[in-house]
Amino acid sequence: MIAFDHVSKRYGALNALQDITFSVPKGQVLGLLGQNGAGKTTAMNILTGCLAPSSGSVSIGGKDVLLHPREAKRMIGYLPEAAPVYDEMTVRAYLRFACELKEVERKAMNGHVEAVAEKTGLSDVLDRKIGNLSKGYRQRTGVAQALCGTPEVIVLDEPTAGLDPRQNSEMRNLILSLAGEHTILFSSHILSEVQAVCSRVIILHHGKMICDKALRDLQSKEHRLRVVIDSRDEKLLSALRQLHSVLRVEIEANPNPGLTQAVLTVDGSGLAERELFTLLSALQTPLLRLSPVEDSLEDVFLRATMDETV
Amino acid sequence: MFAIYRREVQSYFYTSAAYVFLGVFLTLGSIFFGVTNLASRSGNLLALFAELSYLWMLLSPILTMRLIAGERQRNTDQMLFSSPCPLSGMVLGKYLAACTVLLLAVACSVMYALVVAVYGKLYIGETVVGYLGLVLHGCAFIALDLFVSCFAKSQMTAVVLGIGVNLLVWMSDVLARAVTIERISQALNFISLYQRLSPFVRGQLSLSSVVYYLLFIVVMIFLSVRALDARRWSEA
Repeated sequence: MIAFDHVSKRYGALNALQDITFSVPKGQVLGLLGQNGAGKTTAMNILTGCLAPSSGSVSIGGKDVLLHPREAKRMIGYLPEAAPVYDEMTVRAYLRFACELKEVERKAMNGHVEAVAEKTGLSDVLDRKIGNLSKGYRQRTGVAQALCGTPEVIVLDEPTAGLDPRQNSEMRNLILSLAGEHTILFSSHILSEVQAVCSRVIILHHGKMICDKALRDLQSKEHRLRVVIDSRDEKLLSALRQLHSVLRVEIEANPNPGLTQAVLTVDGSGLAERELFTLLSALQTPLLRLSPVEDSLEDVFLRATMDETV
Repeated sequence: MFAIYRREVQSYFYTSAAYVFLGVFLTLGSIFFGVTNLASRSGNLLALFAELSYLWMLLSPILTMRLIAGERQRNTDQMLFSSPCPLSGMVLGKYLAACTVLLLAVACSVMYALVVAVYGKLYIGETVVGYLGLVLHGCAFIALDLFVSCFAKSQMTAVVLGIGVNLLVWMSDVLARAVTIERISQALNFISLYQRLSPFVRGQLSLSSVVYYLLFIVVMIFLSVRALDARRWSEA
């Protein structure tokens, strides 16, 4: 549905994007992840035709954004980082304007505006001025304009930026409700959001694409276990390190000085828990807690931005 | 294009822009009318049109500041650029919206002609020609300031730039008279919008001036479209 083909964008000496190539199949929710200045917004602006690439091409549904802008843009709904709303308009007038821009048929417009408002939770504020709405509602209005015309591709640039936790959660649920119906490109530097919403992640760093993986693959790269053991014996740590399935032991701080808290990086054999229980029962040391540590996207991101490869 | 035209016209009246424009134009216009026509008991409106034409120089940026720079300042330009509406349609819609408010101001000024018609003798032919010149002159300034607005990042910058460029256009007329080198004087005269207005304020319908104004407007709209398109390709 979306195809970036060797796309680069330069700003003077700065390479904002360098040779980016990826495609997004229909219905997928793709997270574009990166620190500020990584090139996420530039990539989205190129995709939506707001910027032209220095080299390479971008197509949507097989239509090149530069060569066939009208056809390509009909398939896009775009929410830029700051919601593009007009404070002096009511939500209804604004959504009607968005529908007109997206060439929605005049007869169907009222029904379409009502449907979009219902989907985005704006039905109660349709006749209120946008300038009088809260940040959360303004952001919803921005999402609603992106949905006008029922575009196949929805591009959301940091849609939760500046929202409070409740609004954040509502926005996340809204995006999840759109998944499946639309192909969604979603950018954020808040990694947990990408985790909650996306099925695939691309990480950009200094304009380069350093990672393109399914979220599942990223998270299952390492198995880690957090253990809390009722002992501070140094021998215990060396015994843990000698276990066949344990690859690495990292000690963590614990408020109780009599306890050892550690994260064990283990292989994928599935024998780690058995070996651990056997060892601790032989040492007659109580195991107080054993829990798996999910490999968070934060870890992956930090590793990726340090190594520039995953 | 019509969607953008409609939104812009509504927006002028949702905000204070149209009211400020109309208010200042009609207040100053009425003062000019009082001094030029009522106080001197003159039914000749052509002198009034010449004075009103100077108001466009100061008031046109009020209408154009929001058109491009305002969108950029509010980040709504990205919504427009990512829509299927072509840039030319977008610029034309905005330009026509500003011209609509200007035409409304001119329509309100018809009351001066009515006062003359009731209490004196109105020369309809030259009044119509004078109004045509006033409208073309105003539309040309709007086109110029729309182009200038493409280079501004904020509405305030657009106003300051607009007034500055308008003064330059006015000064080209003044400079043309001051410069003794004939070629430079001719060139300055050629770019002077006020030079093109002079036949109208003498009551003469000048076809060459009409064509000049229309060409000027088309070129400015074309340059505005190019300026916006160039921003997409900018690597600066």
